[in-house]
Amino acid sequence: MVNLISRVLLISLFTGCICIADEVDFNRDIRPLLSQNCFACHGPDQHERKGKLRLDTMQGSRKVIEKGDLSSSELIARIMSDDPEERMPPPEGGKKLDAKQVELLRSWVLSGAEYEEPWAYVAPSRPPLPSVKDRKWVSNWIDSFILSALEEEGLKPAPDADPVTLVRRLHFDLTGLPPGPEVVESYSRNTDKEAGYEQLVDQLLGSPHFGERMAVYWLDLVRFADTVGYHGDQDHNITPYRDYVIDAFNLNLPFDRFTREQLAGDLLENPTIDQQVATGYNRLLQTSHEGGVQAKEYLAIYAADRIRNLSAVWMGGTLGCAQCHDHKYDPYTTRDFYAMSAFFADIDEVEHFRVGSNSLPTRRPPEIKVLSRRDREMLAGLEAMKPRSGDIEKQIAKVKSRERFTMVTRSIKPRVTRVLPRGNWLDESGEIVEPAVPVFMGKLAGVKGRATRLDLANWLTDVENGSGGLTARVFVNRLWYLFFGEGISRSLDDFGGQGLPPGNPGLLDRLAVEFYGAKWNIKHMVKLLVMSRAYRQGSIATGDSMRVDPLNRFFSRQSRYRLPAEMIRDNALAVGGLLVLDYGGPSSKPFQPPGYYRHLNFPQRKYKQHTDSRQYRRGLYVHWQRQFLHPMLKAMDAPSREECTARRPRSNTPTAAMVLLNDPSFVDAARSFAKRIISEGGNTVESRLKYAYRIALSRQPEAEEQRILKKLLVTTREEVEGEDAQLAAWHAVARALLNCSEINTRN
Amino acid sequence: MRNPHTDIPGCINRRAFLGQSGIGFGAAALGSLLGDGLGAPARSKEGYPGLPGYPNLPVRAKRVIFLCMAGGPSHLETFDFKPKLNELNGKPMPESFTKGQPIAQLQGQNLKVQGHLTGFQRHGKSGQLISDFLPWTSKMADDICIVRSMLTEQINHDPAHTFMNTGTAISGRPSMGSWINYGLGSETENLPGFVVMTSVGGRNPQPIASRQWSAGFLPSRFQGVEFNSTGDPVHYVSNPGGVTRRGQRSVVDAVQDLDRYRNKKVNNPEIETRIAAYEMAFRMQASVPELVDVSGEPQHILDMYGAKPGDGSYASNCLLARRLAERGVRFIQLYHRGWDHHGDLKRYMDICCGLTDKPTWALLTDLKQRGLLEDTLVIWGGEFGRTPMYQGKGGPGRDHHMKGFSMWMAGGGIKGGANHGATDELGYHSVQDVVHVRDLHATMLHLLGIDHNRFTYQFQGLDARLTGVEDARVVKEIIA
Repeated sequence: MVNLISRVLLISLFTGCICIADEVDFNRDIRPLLSQNCFACHGPDQHERKGKLRLDTMQGSRKVIEKGDLSSSELIARIMSDDPEERMPPPEGGKKLDAKQVELLRSWVLSGAEYEEPWAYVAPSRPPLPSVKDRKWVSNWIDSFILSALEEEGLKPAPDADPVTLVRRLHFDLTGLPPGPEVVESYSRNTDKEAGYEQLVDQLLGSPHFGERMAVYWLDLVRFADTVGYHGDQDHNITPYRDYVIDAFNLNLPFDRFTREQLAGDLLENPTIDQQVATGYNRLLQTSHEGGVQAKEYLAIYAADRIRNLSAVWMGGTLGCAQCHDHKYDPYTTRDFYAMSAFFADIDEVEHFRVGSNSLPTRRPPEIKVLSRRDREMLAGLEAMKPRSGDIEKQIAKVKSRERFTMVTRSIKPRVTRVLPRGNWLDESGEIVEPAVPVFMGKLAGVKGRATRLDLANWLTDVENGSGGLTARVFVNRLWYLFFGEGISRSLDDFGGQGLPPGNPGLLDRLAVEFYGAKWNIKHMVKLLVMSRAYRQGSIATGDSMRVDPLNRFFSRQSRYRLPAEMIRDNALAVGGLLVLDYGGPSSKPFQPPGYYRHLNFPQRKYKQHTDSRQYRRGLYVHWQRQFLHPMLKAMDAPSREECTARRPRSNTPTAAMVLLNDPSFVDAARSFAKRIISEGGNTVESRLKYAYRIALSRQPEAEEQRILKKLLVTTREEVEGEDAQLAAWHAVARALLNCSEINTRN
Repeated sequence: MRNPHTDIPGCINRRAFLGQSGIGFGAAALGSLLGDGLGAPARSKEGYPGLPGYPNLPVRAKRVIFLCMAGGPSHLETFDFKPKLNELNGKPMPESFTKGQPIAQLQGQNLKVQGHLTGFQRHGKSGQLISDFLPWTSKMADDICIVRSMLTEQINHDPAHTFMNTGTAISGRPSMGSWINYGLGSETENLPGFVVMTSVGGRNPQPIASRQWSAGFLPSRFQGVEFNSTGDPVHYVSNPGGVTRRGQRSVVDAVQDLDRYRNKKVNNPEIETRIAAYEMAFRMQASVPELVDVSGEPQHILDMYGAKPGDGSYASNCLLARRLAERGVRFIQLYHRGWDHHGDLKRYMDICCGLTDKPTWALLTDLKQRGLLEDTLVIWGGEFGRTPMYQGKGGPGRDHHMKGFSMWMAGGGIKGGANHGATDELGYHSVQDVVHVRDLHATMLHLLGIDHNRFTYQFQGLDARLTGVEDARVVKEIIA
C-alpha cells in the first residue's frame, strides 16, 4: 500500500513541498488511509461511532469535508492540528498520519473528495487488454496485463526460466512431486519447447496427483483435520471428505458445483454418496467433548466458527469480526453475522453432546458409512461379473471391508437464531433473525419461505444476482498465489477495507470473469496461469527488478520459496525411493517422536506408528492431530487447521533444520537414497555424484559441488571403520543433498 | 498478512525478510546480511533483535517465568480466606450469587456451600493470609504479591488456557510468550526464546494443547519450544544413530558450503538466513543437552528443589527454569497438570502442593540469591479458580469457576508482601479492584517495558493486541 502511494508522489527538493503526480485514486490511496486511521471510531460500527461522524460513506464525510476547499474542511484542520486535544487521529491511539499521507488527503479533498464503492464488492468487469510494446513476449492475455504494468514501471520481465527449473517448478506446482529425471531430460531435448511444455502441462493436469496437490490447499482453507480440536482432541470420522476433495479436483468439478455440494449437498435432489460426503464440510469445525461444557455456549461457538470459515473461504471476508459488534472497517453488521449463521441452524449437531465420548474415534452423528469413489467403481465392476467365483466374492468382501464412517450434514428443524448482544450466549434479549445475506450485498432473489444453505451456496456463485463476482475474485487470487507465490491482492483472506487492494486490478477482474465465464472450470484456469509467459519467467532477482520491485508486486520475476511441508516430505521420500503413492483412504501415521502425545487425555493417547508401507505415504495423508500436529509438518509451517489458513508462513528456522538433519523419516530417506547411489550410480565417485544429482536435483553436479561432497566423503570415511564406511559416507552425501537449499526450494 | 511495519519502503528488505525467515542469529550476522542505515533495530548483544523502538517504557523485568497450575487450583484452599464460607458450610448456596451464571459440571444440580477444606494463617512481616496447604509458599509471603480478584471469561479448561495465554478463546492467536519474544527479541542465540515444560501429579490431568504456546499469526520463530523430560529434550535435537558430532559437523559444513556456492548464482537472502539457521541448529544440538544436564549442580541445590535429574518432575523443571533464565531465555512457562479437583480435593491438594510448593519456593529463593529475581517476573496461577459450591466426585471438591480466583506475582518490579483486590464474602465474584486476565497481560507487558496499547500486529486488517480490543489496565498498585 505504502509503495503504491509512494509511486504517485514526487518530493520536490527545491520547494520542500510534496506534490501529487498522478490523480488520487480513492480505493487505492485514500480508503486504506481512512480505514487504517479513522474507521475504528468513525466507521461502520454505529455503536462505537464517536461524534456521530462516519467517514466510510461520502454522505457522512460531508460533515467535515467541503469539497475543493481545504480551509473549510474540518477534516484537514484536525489532521494538521498541532494541538494534541484537537489532532486526529488522537495521539494516544498510537496512529499517526505522515506528511505524505496528509498531502494525499489534502489532494483528495481539493479534487472533490469523491468516494468509490469498496473494490471487492463491485462486480468485476472484463477490462480490455492493455497494449504492450514488446508483443513478442506475450504468450497469452495474462502476459499483456503483466507486461503492460512492468513497462509502465520501466521494468523488464525476467528471462525465461531454464528448462530444469521450469519443469521442476511445474511438477511441484501441479502435483506436489519432483519430476523423474527422464521427464526433465525429455523436455530439455525437445526441440519444440512450446508444444512440449503444453503437453507436459496437460499430462500433469490429468494426473491423479493434481487433485492431491490442490487438496492440500483446500484442506487448509476449510480446516480439515482428523481430530476434534478442543480439550481431549479425540479422533473423529472424516477422511472420506478428504477423498472427495481430491476426487473433485481430479474430476474438475466446476467450482460452483463444488461449493453447492459442500455447503448443501444434502439438500440436492436425491443426493449421491459423493454429495453427502461433501457435506462433511459443515462438520469440520472444532468441537468440544469436555465434561461440563454447556451445549448452548458451544452451539454459539460452533455458529461463529462456521461464519468465520464461510466468509474467509468464499467471501475473502472477516465477517467473524461482527460477532460482538458491527464490523469496524467493512459494512458488515452484527445482525448480518447472526443472519448468516441462521443458514446453518438446521444442521443436526447436538448429538455429540449426548453420545460424544472419550472413545477413539469419538462419535459425532450423523455419520454414514461409505466406500471411496474408486472402491465403489471397483465394487460395481466386481459385482457385475458373472458367474462370481469364490475369488471374486473374496475380492468383493475385501473392498467392502474398506468402508469408513464419515460425518455428514443432516437437516433438522432449524434452531432459533438470535442476535447475541456482545456475543453473549447467556443473553436472550436479542432479536430473532432469519437466514439472510449481508444487507449491503443485496438479497437472495426468488427465495420462497425460509432460505436454506442451498440458497446461500447458489448466491455465492450467482454472478448476476449474488456474490459470484466476489467469489470468483477470491478464488482466482488464491490460484494466482499458488502458482506465482503471491496474490494479485496480497490480502488472500481479507478483501475488505483493511485488505490491500489488488496491485493489478484489471488482471484480477479479467481472471475472475474468465473463471465464471468458463463455467467455474478450475483446470482451465490453472492451465491459463501456467501457460503464461509470466509463469515461465526465471525467479532470480536481478538488479533493477530487486531495486524497483523488491517484493515482486509487479511479478517481474517468478517467486522462489521453501516448499510447503508436505512437498518437503514427499520430495525426500521420492528421492530416497521410498515414497508410496497410494490414493485416498484413511490417514497414515509415520514416525513421530515418542511421547509427543503425552499431554493428550480423555483418553490417554499412544501414537501407533505405521510400520508398513503406510508410513511412507504422501504428507497429505498424514494423521492431522489439531492440538499436536506432526512435528515435522509443524516445523515446516503446516497449520493446525483450527481456523481457515489462506496463506502459510514460510519460515526458515533452526527447528526446521533439525528436522531435515535428524528426523528418522529423513534419515531413512537418505539411507535409502545412499543405497540407490551405490547400487545404481556406477563404481566411481564421479559417476555416483552424477547419479545423485540427477535424481535429487535433475541436473549435473558442478566441479565445486563435487569438491564439497568429495570432501564430505573423505571426512565421513575417516569417522567410520569397516564395511559400513562406504554406506556411511554416501549416507552423509545423501543427507547433505536432502538438506541443501536447492532441493527444498521451489524456484 | 504482513505487519505494516514491514511495508515501509526502505525497511522492506529487513523486516519482510525477517518476517519470513523464522530465525534468530547474532547481531553481526544480521548486520552483514542486511546492510546499514535502515533504522537501528533494538539489538541485543546476542540472539535476535526485537521491534525497533522496543522496549518503549522503563524495563523492570527482562524475562518471565510463568508457573501455570493447570486444571485450576482452588483459590479457597490457597489464598482466599472467607469466614462466611465456613459459616454456611453445607447450606444451600444463596441464589443471589449464582442466578444466571454459567455453571460447568454442576449444571442442573442443587448447589450448596462448601466450607474451607483447610486452615489459613498469617505469614511474614506482611502478615499475608495463606493456607496450610502451602507451608513453603508461606515462607515467601514477603516476596510475593497476592492478587485475590482475578477474573477470566472461560469456564472450561481448554478455552480458559487459551484465554490466559492469548487473551481470547478463538484459536490461532499468538501466546504471550510469542508476543514478548516478538517485541523484545531474544538474548540467547543458542536456545529458543520461549520454552515450555510440563509435569504431572494430582487428579487425572487435563489435556493441554500445543496451541497454548503457539505463535499464532506471528512468525513461526516466536513459537514456544517444548522441552521433554524423556527422549530427546527437544525434538530431533540428537544426531541420527551412528552419527558423531564430528560427522554431523561435516554434513552441516557441506550443506552450508553447497548453499553458499549456490547463492553466488541465485543471490537469495533466504539462503543466508538458512545458513545461519543450520549453524544455530548445530549449536542447539550441544546447548540443549548442556542445559538439561544438571549433573554439575551441587547437591544442596538439587536438595533445595527436591530435583532428581531427569525425573521430569515439577521440581526438576523449576531448576531448569532457573538455568534457562540464567541463559537469557525470555519466556519460560511451566505447567503442572493435576489441579482439577472436582472431588477429593483435600487428597489431591496434598499431592499437588506436595509436588509444587517447595520447588516453587526453591526457585524463588534461588533466583533471589543469584540476583536474578530483580529482573525476572514470576507469575503463579491457574486458568481459573474453583466454586465456593460443593462438588462431590469422590469426596468434597469444587467445580470450575471463572468469576473470582487468586494468583501471585513476584520479582521483576512487583511489590513483595503486598496483596491486591478481593472477592465477595463467599469468594464467588471478584468485587474489589478486579484484575481481568487482560489487565494481567497489560501489567506484565508494562513491567517488561512495553506499552500494551501500542503493541500491535496487523492481522486480517485488525491491529491485534495481546490485551485485545477492550480496555486493559496496568495494575500500578502492585508495582514497586
